[in-house]
Amino acid sequence: MDGIAWAASAMVAARTRLEIATENLANVSTDGFRRIDARGFLTALGVTIARRTSGEGGALRHTGRDFDLAILGRGAFRVRDSAGRVSETRAGGFIREADGTLHDCRGRVVLGLHGALRVPSGGIVDARALGLPPASRVRSGFLEGPAVDAIAEMIDVLSAERSFESAEKAVAAIDATRQKSADTARVK
Amino acid sequence: MDRALFAAASGMAAQQRNLDTIADNLANAGVVGFKGSAQSFAELIAPGGQGLGTVALGSRVLFAQGKLARSGGPFDLAIDGPGFFTVVDGRGRRLYTRDGAFSRSADGTLRNAADYRLAGITIPRDALTVTVGGDGSVRATFAVGARMLGRIRLAEFAAPEHLRPLDGAVFAATPESGGARDVTAGSPDGPKLDFGMLEESNVTIIDAMMQILTAQRAYEANAKGVQAADEMLRIANNLQRG
Repeated sequence: MDGIAWAASAMVAARTRLEIATENLANVSTDGFRRIDARGFLTALGVTIARRTSGEGGALRHTGRDFDLAILGRGAFRVRDSAGRVSETRAGGFIREADGTLHDCRGRVVLGLHGALRVPSGGIVDARALGLPPASRVRSGFLEGPAVDAIAEMIDVLSAERSFESAEKAVAAIDATRQKSADTARVK
Repeated sequence: MDRALFAAASGMAAQQRNLDTIADNLANAGVVGFKGSAQSFAELIAPGGQGLGTVALGSRVLFAQGKLARSGGPFDLAIDGPGFFTVVDGRGRRLYTRDGAFSRSADGTLRNAADYRLAGITIPRDALTVTVGGDGSVRATFAVGARMLGRIRLAEFAAPEHLRPLDGAVFAATPESGGARDVTAGSPDGPKLDFGMLEESNVTIIDAMMQILTAQRAYEANAKGVQAADEMLRIANNLQRG
């Protein structure tokens, strides 16, 4: 493979690492957020970066609200938006509506085993009703905080910037060498 | 649009909103019955599943109980437990508050600092002393004898988090919050009224200061992300000149 193509793939990889680090940094206050790991691989086409969501959850934060729920163990809350799309989230800051259903901050309704979960007035939510795995439990009054370390992400931002610079220098150096050989050829 | 630049900028915008909310809490930390708010954030995801940064979804009132403190006011009331006082403003609108710093006005009504009238109770002109029991019953002594004047009822809502916060510690009902439901204080598992006490705001200044510091640092970190993305673009643009 061509030297310039190698160096260019390193530039693109540094760019992707910066994208991932800024995405993590942006979510430094998002409850339930799991950091995205950037992993570099060497392939026949140069360096590529694979994104993988980390399995590590954030620390629990005490809030004291009845419907701030944190999952201890595996599993996620299943929520359905107004268009009917179901997604999973670990962010458990819910509001109990007048009809007893729970909604998250985006207005999505929390699903139980059979359709929307309904909680009677003064009731509590348990892991079984949410359809979580048997070993998981739900803790009321707590939220799972973001699993992002701002300092580590800052270092990633800086190191991505520097690798981008180094790769750019390599591209420029190879380009300059080729320029010279082209010039030499012209003189002769 | 440049993804790194956009993600970092979205983080800055979200932290800016967060700072607004915290500043509002801090400004009202000394207001009786005030309930602090918290901003919620969510990950911003493109239709393809790619993350694009974050978004601030709006603030949510936290109805945690504030500390009850003994006060010197002549007609101070605090609610220990859920519920609100029903007050009526100058235009006859019903509003709900946990600020119980009332005083007797010339027309016999009980009014708070914003001149909102406590619904359902009037004190006769010749009443000498007035006391309120834990169940909301208002008793007055007169030159001759004593008698019960009525009962202060509290309002509860099916979904109190949908109440609309107005200035200070006053809330208005919305269609989502449901209508006010009358509850009587003093039942074993219900709210209790404390006469001669006031409920402090549930914002603690130290917490709010810590939140400000955290939000500021998060803002700065995202600003560094914007700088780094910008620097990369600059380098890429200069490539050709060598």
